[in-house]
Amino acid sequence: MKQWMGVPGMGVPVVGALLLSACVTINVYFPAAEAKQAAKEFVEKVINEADKVQIKETPAGSGGMALQAPRARFDVSGFDPWVLLGIGSAQAQAAPDISIKTPAIQAIQSRMETRFNSSLRAGFDSGALGFTDDGLVSVRDAAKVDLKDRVALNTAVADDNRDRKAVYREVAVANGHPEWEAQIRGVFAKQWISSARPGWWYQAGGAWKQK
Amino acid sequence: MSRLMLTRYLRLLPMLLLWVAPATLARELRMQVATLRTPVATLERVRLQLHWDDHAQQGQLQLWAGKVDAAGLGYHYRNVHWQCPLQRRPNAGWQCAGALRSGTLPPLQLAVQWDDAATRAQLRQGQAQLALARVAATPDVTTLMLHKLPVVWAQALMAQAWPVARLKAGVVDGQLQVQTPTALPLRMLGKLQVTGMGLDTRDASIAGEQLTGRLQLDYRSTSTLTDVQLDGQLQGGEFLAGNTYVALPTTPVTVHVAAHKTGSAGWQIPKIEWRDGDALTANAMVQMHADGSVQALSVQAHSDDMTPLKPRYLSGWMGVMGMGDVTLHGALDLDAQVNADGLAAVNAQLHGVDLQDPNGRFVFDGLRGGLRYSAGAPVESTLQWQGGQLYGLKFGPATLPFASSAGQLRTRAAIAVPMMGGTLGLRDVVIRPPQGEHGMDIGFGLQLAAIDFGKVSQALGLPAFQGTLGGSIPRAHYAQDRVDFEGGLTLQLFDGRVAFSALSLERPFGTAPSLSADIAMDDLDLLRLTEVLGFGSISGKLDGRVTGLRLVDWTPVAFDARFITDDAPGVRKRISQRAVQDIGSVGGSSFIQTLQGKAVALFKDFGYRRIGIGCHLENQICAMNGLHSAGNTFTIVEGAGVPRLDVVGYNRAVDWATLVERLLAASKGEVAPVIH
Repeated sequence: MKQWMGVPGMGVPVVGALLLSACVTINVYFPAAEAKQAAKEFVEKVINEADKVQIKETPAGSGGMALQAPRARFDVSGFDPWVLLGIGSAQAQAAPDISIKTPAIQAIQSRMETRFNSSLRAGFDSGALGFTDDGLVSVRDAAKVDLKDRVALNTAVADDNRDRKAVYREVAVANGHPEWEAQIRGVFAKQWISSARPGWWYQAGGAWKQK
Repeated sequence: MSRLMLTRYLRLLPMLLLWVAPATLARELRMQVATLRTPVATLERVRLQLHWDDHAQQGQLQLWAGKVDAAGLGYHYRNVHWQCPLQRRPNAGWQCAGALRSGTLPPLQLAVQWDDAATRAQLRQGQAQLALARVAATPDVTTLMLHKLPVVWAQALMAQAWPVARLKAGVVDGQLQVQTPTALPLRMLGKLQVTGMGLDTRDASIAGEQLTGRLQLDYRSTSTLTDVQLDGQLQGGEFLAGNTYVALPTTPVTVHVAAHKTGSAGWQIPKIEWRDGDALTANAMVQMHADGSVQALSVQAHSDDMTPLKPRYLSGWMGVMGMGDVTLHGALDLDAQVNADGLAAVNAQLHGVDLQDPNGRFVFDGLRGGLRYSAGAPVESTLQWQGGQLYGLKFGPATLPFASSAGQLRTRAAIAVPMMGGTLGLRDVVIRPPQGEHGMDIGFGLQLAAIDFGKVSQALGLPAFQGTLGGSIPRAHYAQDRVDFEGGLTLQLFDGRVAFSALSLERPFGTAPSLSADIAMDDLDLLRLTEVLGFGSISGKLDGRVTGLRLVDWTPVAFDARFITDDAPGVRKRISQRAVQDIGSVGGSSFIQTLQGKAVALFKDFGYRRIGIGCHLENQICAMNGLHSAGNTFTIVEGAGVPRLDVVGYNRAVDWATLVERLLAASKGEVAPVIH
């Protein structure tokens, strides 16, 4: 808390709002590279084996404005708040990041990770499951699963697909562009397949292929 | 099984041996038959060889068949060979027992005895044993005795009726009679005990495991007609068809099925009876297309005790729908018709049904009455409930008069649901159940009147706000897991008004329900507000606006909020020392201008001219602002009078989680004075 305690300031009479309006440009193009980076981070975390060391980050004061590779949590006191207000450099305007760090998305991600490790991974390993080309999971060969586990697997797949749809939607909305939902979903769909382990199945052009 | 049909051929042997037997020298008989037809099987390229040494007690019999086809039963074998020592028996009888081989299949032991009166054969492999008996007096009747016979042996027979099914496991005991009169259909009837049967279809859409039960079978088949009557008592096992998962109870379930199939047409199943104690009594009729898809289906079901319905019959569907934990109690009558276009009609009669979601999403208690749906002609029904809860908000009894026609379910009159001291009104409800690719679609009008917001706050775990909530949503629309509300709600709160507009709710019962709204607040009494929030004490009036509010899983993820005090005649504008500390702490870092901090502690409260604070939440960062900003600082409180006190926030970007922590700490009075 201490670092938040400012020293008595001088009340510098700078009209921030003027600065603000001076350099705001509106980006409406889809930041494909940033979306891919965010999707990769999300997907790898869900798919990665539990034995990999993961240092859990608490949401840093930096918020989600920069979400590339995990990095050290930086000292909030050294943070330039102007960036948050859109008064950063022109580059910040030109390359908006895609944030996946809202608590809701992270809660879903962690649930998906647990579900992946408890049931879906075995399904992918056995070939029972595959990634569809629209970013979902599908039971492609139920015969690979014992009947007693098939009902639970169907339920897990349905639950995971609900979570996936919610993630694609919420990532778009959280980044202020609900209209990007389909594009976000497309990027994630490619990423699930790209991050899939050798031997796992995925859908390409309507047909199942093995990686 | 058809291996046994070879025994038919063996009926010829005694005649042949008549002129072999009296011989005094070693003799050898060879015979070749191009095609040998019996009512059950056709044998091709048959060779028989019998070698009998002089004075020997037995001869060596060998039989080859290039091809054995029991087309009616579905069995086909290649390169069949049987070798055995042939011995005489009394009454002009013979016996022969030896290994029977076909291609590379593991050998079986085939023992055959025949005399004037009867033919008997026994086929063994390990413990599995299939015995056959035929009495000369009734040559068209063959009796089969099965002992620990692998179900897999019936694969070919099963494939006749159900080509894509694969039998995987299980054993059969029992007795079957096979009738093969020349002019009449092949008929099999008998009683079987099946234990631990497993089966699967090629696409794995239908599967069974550990199915156990007693069956009484009557199967008739000609080239044009197949007819099956099945009476059974099932005692455990599980069965999956698509998303329908049936976990049979250990208590017996009796079942009766009558089915027939003509030519290449689909199966017609005019009668399926299912009796599972109190849990489910069902009668159904199914007509199928040749490809196995359903042409028409009619079900009448009754349950006196719905509690076991979920674990036994509904868990598959409920799991897929995200309702896997929902519990069901009560009694139900259901009558449903499905035709080629989908669901044609449903008539559900509920008798005290309770539905409960342990995850706290919903509860419905005491559902009674009817719910009728029709894809065609109009029908009416009336459903009632005793009460329930939606996300912890309790509601009281209500009556829902429904009418249905042309695939729609509508309310015939407005519905009033007592809720939280007021009324929730529903009208013009139109429900279109999922049809084909179209998901559920619901339109409705909503009215809230005199809802006690104190109760709502308590139920939702909010601070103890007191007020009444009311308003009208003339049209709300649910489709694709999203509800949009036209119109708005008004909350009378703290002597002022809070208006909610642009409401929408995504995934209302699904993953991370998400609520969007714009909120406007006018003239809230700050004194009462701060009392409730435990936030020091401020007198005055507050206006506010929250636009673009989005709650995901009931947690704010985005909004643009701004609150500012409003002048009102005769209203004192004072702020307590504690409130100053609290506001200061929430503002990130605060300091007190124009007055040295230590002096603050000397006063209980201060006058103020204006208080204003705002937060633009995005990406977990709250960009804060106040009455006016200067650089990285923003003024939250502008003092008035003496001593004059201003509160200025420093560092406008605040991590949202930190801010919430501070708000909670402030409301609990855990903020330590920050004095500079």
